[in-house]
Amino acid sequence: MAKIEFRHVSKRFGAVEVIPDMDLVIEDGEFAALLGPSGCGKSTSLFMLAGIYLPSGGELLFDGHLVNEVEARDRNVGIVFQSYALYPHMSVRDNILFPLRFKKTPRDEALARVKAAADLVRVTELLDRRPSELSGGQQQRVALARALVKKPQLLLLDEPLSNLDASLRLSMRTEIKSLHEQLGVTTVLVTHDQIEATTMADRIICMRAGRIEQVGTPDDLYLRPSSLFVAGFIGSPPINLVAGKAEGGTFTADGTRFPVVGASGEITVGLRPEHLRFGEAGFAGRITQIEPMGREILYVVETGMGAVRVLEQGSFVGHTIGEQVKVAFRPENSLVFETKRQKLIVGAHVRTPA
Amino acid sequence: MVTQAAPAMTMAPSEPEIDWDSLASRARLARRTRAVVLYAFLIAVSLPIILPYFWLVTIAFSARTGVAETAVLWRSMAVVVPVIVGFWLAAALARNRRQLWFGFAAVAAVAVVAFALLVGPDLHLGNFIFLWEPDFASVVRSRVGEVKGAVQFPNVWHAFGNSILIAGAQTAIVVTVASLAAYYLSRFQFPGRSSMLRSLLVLHAFPVLTLIVPMFLMLYWIGLLDTLFGVILVLVAFELPFAIFIMKGFFDAVPWDIEMSALTDGASRRQAFVSVVLPQVRNGILAVAVFTFIRGWEEYIFVFTFLIRNSNWTMSLYMYWVRDDVMGVDYGVVSAVGVFYLVPSLILYMAAQRYLMQMSVGGVKG
Repeated sequence: MAKIEFRHVSKRFGAVEVIPDMDLVIEDGEFAALLGPSGCGKSTSLFMLAGIYLPSGGELLFDGHLVNEVEARDRNVGIVFQSYALYPHMSVRDNILFPLRFKKTPRDEALARVKAAADLVRVTELLDRRPSELSGGQQQRVALARALVKKPQLLLLDEPLSNLDASLRLSMRTEIKSLHEQLGVTTVLVTHDQIEATTMADRIICMRAGRIEQVGTPDDLYLRPSSLFVAGFIGSPPINLVAGKAEGGTFTADGTRFPVVGASGEITVGLRPEHLRFGEAGFAGRITQIEPMGREILYVVETGMGAVRVLEQGSFVGHTIGEQVKVAFRPENSLVFETKRQKLIVGAHVRTPA
Repeated sequence: MVTQAAPAMTMAPSEPEIDWDSLASRARLARRTRAVVLYAFLIAVSLPIILPYFWLVTIAFSARTGVAETAVLWRSMAVVVPVIVGFWLAAALARNRRQLWFGFAAVAAVAVVAFALLVGPDLHLGNFIFLWEPDFASVVRSRVGEVKGAVQFPNVWHAFGNSILIAGAQTAIVVTVASLAAYYLSRFQFPGRSSMLRSLLVLHAFPVLTLIVPMFLMLYWIGLLDTLFGVILVLVAFELPFAIFIMKGFFDAVPWDIEMSALTDGASRRQAFVSVVLPQVRNGILAVAVFTFIRGWEEYIFVFTFLIRNSNWTMSLYMYWVRDDVMGVDYGVVSAVGVFYLVPSLILYMAAQRYLMQMSVGGVKG
């Protein structure tokens, strides 16, 4: 188990600066998720942790020890790749055994540990098969067993669920989380899928273009996104963003006026679809599209400020396309950002227009 | 829309009745005719390829010293050509797998009987005299009264050993160097990498024979002329570029992930290469090895130019001198040497066929 620290870490590939300056602490035993769109530097950070990439600058510390120069094989890091990266020419047993080969573990002990790791992820009956004979979910488990068999001080998961089908993804999510609770190993998950990050991780590090946008619990990121980027990245269906101008307590966006508190100048208002509801009062619009999603229904409402998504709970479609509606929200659910700096204005909010 | 579609619908019944049965039988006939024409064509063009080998073997086992006899060839052909047609007919007429095997077995049985009756009495092993009689040239010549002037042949097993040595050593060196070089080219970025890749192909495009005089001089000055090692070096130099190029394609197809995984699992770069990457390119190595071995086995020009002493002869030189010395007297012996020379590469090809196919399937990617 280890506490991980990035101190002003940077990474360049030739002229391309992937990570300019990264500062981050991951506590011992924590489950952290690096979340961001592809190309944001999250995988690069992961590979620096694994020791596959050398940082171009700064310090990388495990438990306070500088590990910049320590080779991958000496870091005792377990990693599960997106492709699982099982060795195709070896049986499952030899795959899981592989990390112990280089540790000079006695044969009996090694086999016992392989058995234990296989039991942990329930692949014991597959030990004699080849990876090509396994399903995606089984390969995933074997990869986990291989990463865990060496009792790593740090477990790295690189998009571990993206190659699984929807139902498997759901069960693996639960399984990985309970594994983490059971073993308590410091775990870093890399994903571009916000659901994976919010469901599994204790803390999410949201990245964009090599920089950390926000670090916080899933709740922090959802309820108090520090920037427009985080607000837009977290939440599905995505948040409605309305840009406009606030003057003298009134926010005006394309002719629609809202009372505003605590902000002035160019601002952008964020309203999550699930926080909007149809009512007697509110801003007016016309329903142009209805998407029933099972336990909730997504309405696309054309308003004076453009299309607004409204998510209603329940499976009853109570409205029709073309219907004129009014949309309301609770002031505390509105998020107000400075348009220019893209930062959240803490304490500011807007109200439903009367 | 609806009103436009209506007239079109009503027109259908007024069209003449379609005779589906005659259409089907016409299509069936056309399909059969196409198949017959195709197979006839394929048999016709494959005969000139198969026949020389067939004749080579027949002559090797039937010709007698000083006798220019072709009747046995025609008799053997009278067996083989109907057999090929018979196999084809069996394949064409069989309605299921069992009938197919039954038909093949019947044709094969008839073929064996016919061969034993028509060709069998003429078969003998006397032409393989060179296998146990090093001075076979004198023996063969003495049968027709010519005693003097026979070439001093080395033991054929000596030439065989030389050929194995040249082909084997060349293969070992090429496979080792090509694997390492191709891995580096595939995985590492270094100045001049792309121009090196280009030059690999350009090197392969040169006709190697143009270099035969400079190579001769070089070997002479180094002191490797008339040594097997010299020839091996020359062959390695000419075979390497293409082998590297082929191997690079195989290494490119190995995902980075498993290598990174091996590194984090505690392997050093070298251990990862040996225990994880190399097994993935096993088929590539086998394919390159087989091609290189056969290339060395059939090598003629360089051994002819660079090897002089008859203790350094390879099988191709042995074959050349046999042809030179006893062809006029006994072409049966020449054919027998040919068969003996052919067998190892045939065995190798058959054993490695599965892997050679991979080369076109999984192999070459820029």
